[in-house]
Amino acid sequence: MVRGVKESKEGKFSSDLIFDLYANLMTEIWGIVSELIGEAILGVLYTSALRKTGEKYTFLKSLKVSEEGISLDEVRRDCRNMAPGEIHRGFQSLINHLSHLFSALTENVINKELLPKVLPRVREAERMISQR
Amino acid sequence: MNILRSTITAISTSVEVKDMIESAGANLPNLFNFCSFGVLWRERSILYLFQEESCPPTFTQEVVKNMVKVFSILGEEPIEIEQIALQVEKRKLRPNPFMMDPQATLKSHLTLPLSVEEEIIGCISINSDQPNAFDAQKLQFFSVIGYQMAASLRHLQRLSTVKKEAIYDTLTGLVNRRYCEERLSAETQKAFTGGSNLSVIMVDIDHFKKVNDTFGHAGGDQVLREIASLLKNSVRRQDDTVARYGGEEFVFVLPGAPLEAASTIAERIRQSIENNPFNIGQTQIHLTISLGISNFPTHPAKSKEELVKIADLALYEAKRGGRNRVCIFNSTLGRNG
Repeated sequence: MVRGVKESKEGKFSSDLIFDLYANLMTEIWGIVSELIGEAILGVLYTSALRKTGEKYTFLKSLKVSEEGISLDEVRRDCRNMAPGEIHRGFQSLINHLSHLFSALTENVINKELLPKVLPRVREAERMISQR
Repeated sequence: MNILRSTITAISTSVEVKDMIESAGANLPNLFNFCSFGVLWRERSILYLFQEESCPPTFTQEVVKNMVKVFSILGEEPIEIEQIALQVEKRKLRPNPFMMDPQATLKSHLTLPLSVEEEIIGCISINSDQPNAFDAQKLQFFSVIGYQMAASLRHLQRLSTVKKEAIYDTLTGLVNRRYCEERLSAETQKAFTGGSNLSVIMVDIDHFKKVNDTFGHAGGDQVLREIASLLKNSVRRQDDTVARYGGEEFVFVLPGAPLEAASTIAERIRQSIENNPFNIGQTQIHLTISLGISNFPTHPAKSKEELVKIADLALYEAKRGGRNRVCIFNSTLGRNG
């Protein structure tokens, strides 16, 4: 087993828990922002953000974006042995980049709707990592 | 919602890009309070700005700068402001008397990518001199407009490509035979009814088969492109048409050109080809062309086909007379050089 990856009481790997959290968060972000700018435009922004952040966190390149949303199935299967901290940092970087794009496009209109819901979940992920 | 619907209809029924932007710009004041609406179209490197008539230049500059910046972030490759051609339309966007502060600065904006099939083809932006001028609902409306504009823009782009393919010869970039015949129909109609001059010059490259046999079709194509370019540069009037008529044959349609003028042009073209060395790989070759001229009313043609046939007969005479020459059809003698 890769160092730093533990199995929880429920038999799940800690990386699985982080993936669960971010899968939900990604779905939530998709839902909020697609209501505002539509799936097509959001898909383009996600693709751009994944291309950029995937340069450093290569596992993000396995995320699949379509007009239906964002799928973590493949990345979850391929990266379950990855250190949770690395997964967290990757998603955090993705969210930061998306937030930067939203801000460049609409100033605070999207982020005002989004950040109050997203930030507590990112903090929750941080707590999970620190309790490891 | 009705206003949004009519804006969308106006955008989707436009047949020209400029009309589409005008339609959008004219309808947007019913939905938003803004000073400037911009559409950056990547393919043409054009930024259309639809602005409040009292918009100060400094505000315009800020809008341009911001749109170019946002597009660079979206496209991930920076574009320079100098690369963008700016087209500004100033209008009264608010019903009540309104004067923008000459010192007004860009305080808020919504900018969205124009994306089709996952490709970013530009961006649109709505801008205000007031802080927090746009909220979530305005963004929803604007994104619907952006989505429709992107789809319409792509449709118009495709239409323009189809139009181009229908008009131009893909190898030489000259207009093709079909378009040439359309022009000829229109010009003969004008000349026959108005009694004005119309000259036709048929051009054929001498011994072109030898070029193909020696250098292959790639070498032949290169020669065709170079000759086409020389032919195109030999006429300057907007009404003149130079077309690839087929194979190594070209045709000039010169409305309003008397026989003498057409003859002078033909001789100039002949000399320019004769004096131009053609480089194919490491080999330099010299080529010549033969030219035949017909003219209305000098030659009493009754149709465009007859005018072309007369020029073709003159071309045949030029070939028969030894090539590298200009011949004018002479009805008394049958054919004359």
